[in-house]
Amino acid sequence: MDGMALKLPSFKFLNPNISTIRSPPLLRKFSSSSSSLPVSASGTTLREAGPASNSVSLGQLTRPDFPILHQTINNGSKLVYLDNAATSQKPISVLKALQDYYESYNSNVHRGIHYLSAKATEKYELAREKVAAFINAEESREIVFTRNATEAINLVAYSWGFTNLKSGDEVVLTIAEHHSAIVPWQFVAQKTGAVLKFVDLNEDEVADVVQLKEMISSKTKLVVVHHISNTLASSLPIQDIVHWAHAVEAKVLVDACQSVPHMPVDVRDLDADFLVASSHKMCGPTGVGFLYGKSDILSTMPPFLGGGEMISDVFLDHSTYAEPPSRFEAGTPAIGEVIGLGAAIDYLQGIGMQKIHDFINPLHQYINKYNNTIKSEMMGTIYSYILSIYLFLFLMQMELANYLYENLSTVNNIRIYGPKPSKGVDRAALCSFNVKNIHPTDIATFLDQQHGVAIRSGHHCAQPLHRYLGINASARASLHFYNTKEDVDYFIHALNDTVNFFDSFK
Amino acid sequence: MYTSTASTISSIKTTISPSPNPNKKETFSPFENTKRLSFSSFKSLKCIHSPPSNPKRLTSCAAFTLSPSLTTKLVPSKLPHLITEFESLSQPIDLVKRLLQYAALLAPLPDSSRVDSNRVMGCTAQVWLEVELDEYGKIMLWADSDSEITRGFCACLVLVLDGTPPEEVLNVTTEDLAALNIGLHGGARSRVNTWHNVLVSMQKRVRILVAERDRKKDFDPFSSLIVSSDGVQAKGRYAEAQIRIKANNFSSY
Ligand SMILES: Cc1ncc(COP(=O)(O)O)c(C=O)c1O
Repeated sequence: MDGMALKLPSFKFLNPNISTIRSPPLLRKFSSSSSSLPVSASGTTLREAGPASNSVSLGQLTRPDFPILHQTINNGSKLVYLDNAATSQKPISVLKALQDYYESYNSNVHRGIHYLSAKATEKYELAREKVAAFINAEESREIVFTRNATEAINLVAYSWGFTNLKSGDEVVLTIAEHHSAIVPWQFVAQKTGAVLKFVDLNEDEVADVVQLKEMISSKTKLVVVHHISNTLASSLPIQDIVHWAHAVEAKVLVDACQSVPHMPVDVRDLDADFLVASSHKMCGPTGVGFLYGKSDILSTMPPFLGGGEMISDVFLDHSTYAEPPSRFEAGTPAIGEVIGLGAAIDYLQGIGMQKIHDFINPLHQYINKYNNTIKSEMMGTIYSYILSIYLFLFLMQMELANYLYENLSTVNNIRIYGPKPSKGVDRAALCSFNVKNIHPTDIATFLDQQHGVAIRSGHHCAQPLHRYLGINASARASLHFYNTKEDVDYFIHALNDTVNFFDSFK
Repeated sequence: MYTSTASTISSIKTTISPSPNPNKKETFSPFENTKRLSFSSFKSLKCIHSPPSNPKRLTSCAAFTLSPSLTTKLVPSKLPHLITEFESLSQPIDLVKRLLQYAALLAPLPDSSRVDSNRVMGCTAQVWLEVELDEYGKIMLWADSDSEITRGFCACLVLVLDGTPPEEVLNVTTEDLAALNIGLHGGARSRVNTWHNVLVSMQKRVRILVAERDRKKDFDPFSSLIVSSDGVQAKGRYAEAQIRIKANNFSSY
């Protein structure tokens, strides 16, 4: 139609001529003289990307495994997916595992003695072992499969919460929790008379652990905290929090939705009583999440839902319950998806073995030494492998996280929430932000429609946090290991273009 | 651009009385003349709103029975125009631009109306909606959002549905609006679909208003026809309806 309709050429990775990329088409449209507009911001960003593009990144290595990333959307924009905190993409191996299950051994688990059922049951339980090893649980029966993290939290609230909380007891949470870690406890509080106490943010925009420590008292029965905030990108010192809580015999539930997909999480190290995560954020299918619970706690908890699978014997007036984890898995579970989650965990290991071998060699030597001392413990070996991979992923993402933050900071009138990385603080690879006088939904819409960049806008299910920050909504760009610096460069360029577009409408 | 105060807007709107002329075609010429769409042509539109606090509207009621001609299907004619207009925009960016142009026509709601009880739930941006029945039983709509693109959606809905009989608003389905999505804001069934959320919320309120009106009719067959010179009384009726809307928490939308 006019200059507006022009698209940037599809973005080429490792393009040595990247610095010569032309100014955004919008600038040409809305100004007779583009030189009068602040084009330098995006120009600079792109130029700086040159050297960074020369080293082969994990993103470039793994992208071929994610077919979904290789598409053009909205009339020819190359898709740049930066909404990984909402959900991650799935590698081919996960898709194959799902297809394989439905194609060759779809059957109900734990119910039949026939071949298919036996095979499905074996794979299903194998996935449980993989998850257990992944977070270094002591035994696989500490892993309960749920539909998602939300259901896992509800399970704890309804089963443990209603049994153990009474009027006057206190549950300590932070205002930065996801709604799914707040609302179930509101239900419990309303019914039992327990009190919810919320920790604010400190001056660095991180949940205030000093305040949290002070809030823990003999009345405290439970502490519910995020490991990594899905909005602030900050992390909490779980070990310390667990230590303080255990000192008053309170339990700790860790919402690890944003940590498990991105960093090594060791439940024994953390000593958390409960930990929850969702498969779909860690390259697995939707429809599965898990609850980790210490087995002595799980075995004292009553069932959450009633039905098949969770019972031992059913009489007309009562039933006796199966042991955990079956006790908490009423009805037919998401068998294929659980197996898919197992494949996702395999994939993450696979990255390490095939593609990052060289990089982690020095790390391997260390780990092999460590392995020798615990060789008898199979779990330990598997875990140390995973740990090495995850340490690597973690380091790569720290770099990418900072790259995102630094570049985003250059955008005019931007406000990024959460801690500044300069303070020796490691931020997760996500940034929630607002640009002055432009609604985040408008930003997200334009980025999507004009540039094919997928980000989130809204309150990210963290309304109390947004209210605390004095905003109704924010935009959020969140990365995973398959994202590249080029994705970030393109996003920043597109964001500058977006800001110019809306400014021109004012 | 959005500096106009509530009072100036309401004075613009005050001059507009519900036209007994069913042939409103020319009022909506922008839909038909999409090529030459301009801000100035928009400015002549009547239905982009004033705040509901217009006291005149509440006191100037005249005894009036709906004439059949007034119930002429306005929605069915306006909506296709809008759809045609949107479908003519081949680039997504043009739709964004068009929505921003529509947004520019929509006067902001006063802060007193930007309250939680008027919120439309389920939008990624905040949307506020007020619905009333005018003295002829027609729908009066006001909508606003903190997002400009969403304001554009609101403006379109107001343009299509303001001044129509309640039945027409109730007859519009999300599918009717599906053609307007053009890839924006998720599919027709998405939680973030602004068209859908605003429409459903609007219909819910219209149902409440109609039920309220019918209830009044049952108790006093004349109350909805009698025009009181007593402004307070008239105001009270609207206020009562208003309170009813507000009491309803719109929990689902
Ligand atoms: C920190 C955090 N907690 C909980 C959840 C809820 O996860 P799900 O919707 O998969 O249950 C999310 C995902 O949005 C999250 O980011």
